Amino acid sequence: MKQKSLMKRITGSREALLAIVLIVLFVIVTAISPSFLTPKSLMDMLKNNAVMMVMALGMLCVMLVGGIDISIMSTLALSGMSIGMMLKYDVIANPVLAFVIAIAIGIVCGFVVGLVISRADVPPIIATMGFMYIYRAMGYLVSNGGEWASAAALGSFKNFATSKFLGINCVIWVIIVCYAFFFWFMKWTRTGRKIYAVGSNAEAAEVSGINVKNTKLLVYTIMGLLSGLGGALQVSVYASAMPDMQYGGEMDVIAACVIGGVSMNGGRGTVLGALLGSLILATIARALPLIPFFNQLWLNTIKGLIILAVVIINIVLQRAADRNALKGREM
Amino acid sequence: MAGKSGRSINNVPESSVKRMIFSWEGILVLIFIAVNIFCAIFSEFYNLNSLLRQMPVYLAEVFLMLTMAYILVLGEIDISVGSIVCLSATMCCIVCNSNAPFIVVVLTALIVGTICGAINGFILTRFQELPPMIVTLATQIIFRGIAEIVLGDGGSISVTNTDGFRLIGGKVGQVPYILFLVLILAVIFAVILGKSTFGRRVYAIGTNRLTAYYSGIHVQKIRMIIYTVMGTISGLCALFLVSSSYGANTTTGNGFEMDAIAMAVFGGISSTGGKGNLAGGVISAFIIVCLRVGLGQKNVNAQVILLIIGVLLVAAVALPNIVGQVKRAVQVKSK
Amino acid sequence: MNKKIISALLCGTMILGAASPVFAAGVGDGQKIALVGKSAGNAFFEIAAASFQETVEAEGGEVEVVYPETATADAQIKVLDNLISQDFDAICIAANDVNALQAKLEEAMDAGIKVSSFDSAPNKDSRQVFVNQAGTQAVGQALMDAVLDISGGEGQFAILSATSQAANQNAWIDAMKSIMESDEKYSKLELVEVAYGDDEPQKSTDQTAALIQNYPDLKVICAPTTVGIAAAAKYLQDNESTCKLTGLGLPSEMLEYTGDDDAHSCPYFYLWDMQGLGKLSAYTTMALVSGDITGALDETFTAGDLGEYTITEADDGGTEIVLGEPLQFTPENIEEYAELY
Repeated sequence: MKQKSLMKRITGSREALLAIVLIVLFVIVTAISPSFLTPKSLMDMLKNNAVMMVMALGMLCVMLVGGIDISIMSTLALSGMSIGMMLKYDVIANPVLAFVIAIAIGIVCGFVVGLVISRADVPPIIATMGFMYIYRAMGYLVSNGGEWASAAALGSFKNFATSKFLGINCVIWVIIVCYAFFFWFMKWTRTGRKIYAVGSNAEAAEVSGINVKNTKLLVYTIMGLLSGLGGALQVSVYASAMPDMQYGGEMDVIAACVIGGVSMNGGRGTVLGALLGSLILATIARALPLIPFFNQLWLNTIKGLIILAVVIINIVLQRAADRNALKGREM
Repeated sequence: MAGKSGRSINNVPESSVKRMIFSWEGILVLIFIAVNIFCAIFSEFYNLNSLLRQMPVYLAEVFLMLTMAYILVLGEIDISVGSIVCLSATMCCIVCNSNAPFIVVVLTALIVGTICGAINGFILTRFQELPPMIVTLATQIIFRGIAEIVLGDGGSISVTNTDGFRLIGGKVGQVPYILFLVLILAVIFAVILGKSTFGRRVYAIGTNRLTAYYSGIHVQKIRMIIYTVMGTISGLCALFLVSSSYGANTTTGNGFEMDAIAMAVFGGISSTGGKGNLAGGVISAFIIVCLRVGLGQKNVNAQVILLIIGVLLVAAVALPNIVGQVKRAVQVKSK
Repeated sequence: MNKKIISALLCGTMILGAASPVFAAGVGDGQKIALVGKSAGNAFFEIAAASFQETVEAEGGEVEVVYPETATADAQIKVLDNLISQDFDAICIAANDVNALQAKLEEAMDAGIKVSSFDSAPNKDSRQVFVNQAGTQAVGQALMDAVLDISGGEGQFAILSATSQAANQNAWIDAMKSIMESDEKYSKLELVEVAYGDDEPQKSTDQTAALIQNYPDLKVICAPTTVGIAAAAKYLQDNESTCKLTGLGLPSEMLEYTGDDDAHSCPYFYLWDMQGLGKLSAYTTMALVSGDITGALDETFTAGDLGEYTITEADDGGTEIVLGEPLQFTPENIEEYAELY
């Protein structure tokens, strides 16, 4: 009896299903290339996907209120390029200040997007598409039309990505802190619950006294904040700032969330889901080059097929789980 | 005007002439005229000849807008079209190089596109819970990935016998064939969307899918048809694209989906579904084409052009809303 | 309401787009030349473009540097359409695709516009002459010798390239392979894999990590691409890997990673004289316009203070002008060059 209910609990939870998918992926990759499952390799993987993982949290909030944001990588490029140029021309030298400025730029960008969406009622996909062009163009203009800020110009800022705290890379600490904070924020704070409420039923939320407009403004500002942080991380991890950074990368972040079970209609999705979704994508990116018998030309096709397979498996299992749940009720 | 006007402006006067002018489409026509006057002043090279000569490359994307409008009216999105264009272009170049008659080349492009579209449609109707954006994101990667595999090392193919493509890239006097085709298809697509039962059903699904389903509309069948036609039209786009480059490569069609969506949305077609008509979409497509040609002729920085289009996009949707809000606020106060 | 905003915006861009003609006497007197890049935001190209512009303007011509909105051939076709509408004397282009620009460049040549190219060439039918930064064989030879030297004469090495479609990189890699087979002294070297980082830092890092994990005995990675070499250099240096690196890179990007000791991942690497490339391309294009050359084989002309150059046959059957040997950047000279690019 007890075992059965455990089974039911596992198959009934989206996150558990995802965890199983992730474990299966890990097992397959490790079987083919044992060196994948070493602490160092896993740390590398986290560090190299830090930007996507952190921004998935913001996308989670945006998608929870039923929105979407495709301007994020342009915001990232603008904030990253701005601090890159400031460091290059010695306007600032302090790494902490660079982080603060990048995040501040991100907040302003996100706030403007949020204003347009919440106050002028522009559909999110349109508004963020517009700002995708606008912020990317501003990134180019900031870079004087295409200058790079390279490793030597970044001074001590780039050391952030190589320094360690308690034996763990600082970039990974950023991921841990962000996820821990959002886990608490989404689950235990009033604001976090408001975001869920607005996404589940905006009218009901409005009637029950939640300021829907301000909540929407808030989530896009959070997204902007994390994009700004992403910009600083990107520049630090790769020790270089270019205006075309992460061009097209927003789709990876959205894919991470959707794979993680975040609904595009709003109201459904968890921090754990976003974590698992982005880990699955990170694993794919990390593992495909490790598998020797894949021709390099096939990588993109395989990546696409895996994304498709994961979301379809998710649906099929979910349907089975729903049927089981109904069966239980009938009995 | 067929269909519903994309954006409503409050306090529209009753007379029908005034209503025409104050509708979104009316405003778009005014913007179109303004843009052309501006371009003519801005660029000394901007005239009908240079416009007609430069237009074909942009017009290939206008094809995509026609079907993308249907998908947006459904309240959905297809971001795989650029990749379908890439795969169709690649396949028809390969077939062309095997000395097949040109009609076979044309059919290849259309059929490959149709198959890709049908794959999207099949997955989306078989697993209705899946958001179109994520499915077409996956197929976007896959279709382009297949083109990469087919193209192999080098990633680029050029057609050896360009006769057929020169033919479809031809002109009547100064007017390229593609302009006629775009206009004919635009009329057909606009009439179907605005006047036919099929079109009404598309609006119904976009407005409320569940209600549409319960009132007996075959929602999944209609979605399947639209996604498949989107594929066919992408094949058509690929054909004309090849006629301007005599070849295909792994970046062919990159970003076309965003251009098509931008044209449709600027034309008043709502991405949340159920609103807008193709007249607006077509006018806005020509506004964007003229603007790009005019600014491009004076070598304005490409990023600045994109910035302007981004601002236009946001402003086109935001301004009517803000004006409406202000007017409402004023009315409430005066009462 | 909308109109006002649009026209205000457009007025703003009008000011940005305004160009000022320069009058002076020289071989390029009164010539109007367009320089088309691969995409905006390419540090590598900017240097050559700046030097191109300087050279032409010093000779009394005018240059318009134009970038497509994305690094695709589609976007370059639109740019070419724009340029053909204007009365340019010549177009000098770095092509995003070998074949796709043929129709437009032929149209340009039919309209009497001279077409030269540099950095990466469109196919032989779409250009009059190509200014090659360094002979393909010379680059392959330099890279192969670097691998031989750094590895100590034997062992495994890998190549980290840009995309699998990048024409330049593929030509250099093919040259390296044929050089390796042709000479006995490379027989103890083993090329284990050609990986592609797509010129994205993230993917290049993943690929470098995979190479190190899959081949623990790997001695050298050769990355003939500026983004790839910087990403690989950072990964190897941060991880204190024993695997060393060489390839083609920008001195300013590689300054942190270049050194002879174990603390640095790259002992030395190559690139060409970007300023020289811009200058030579400028003189070549001006000579095409003035009719001094037509782009035919064995023609000679004087490229200002660079001296005399002869047009030779290119690998693809077209014609080219080769700038010279690749430049080597060592710990001794890198600081000096990092100031420049």
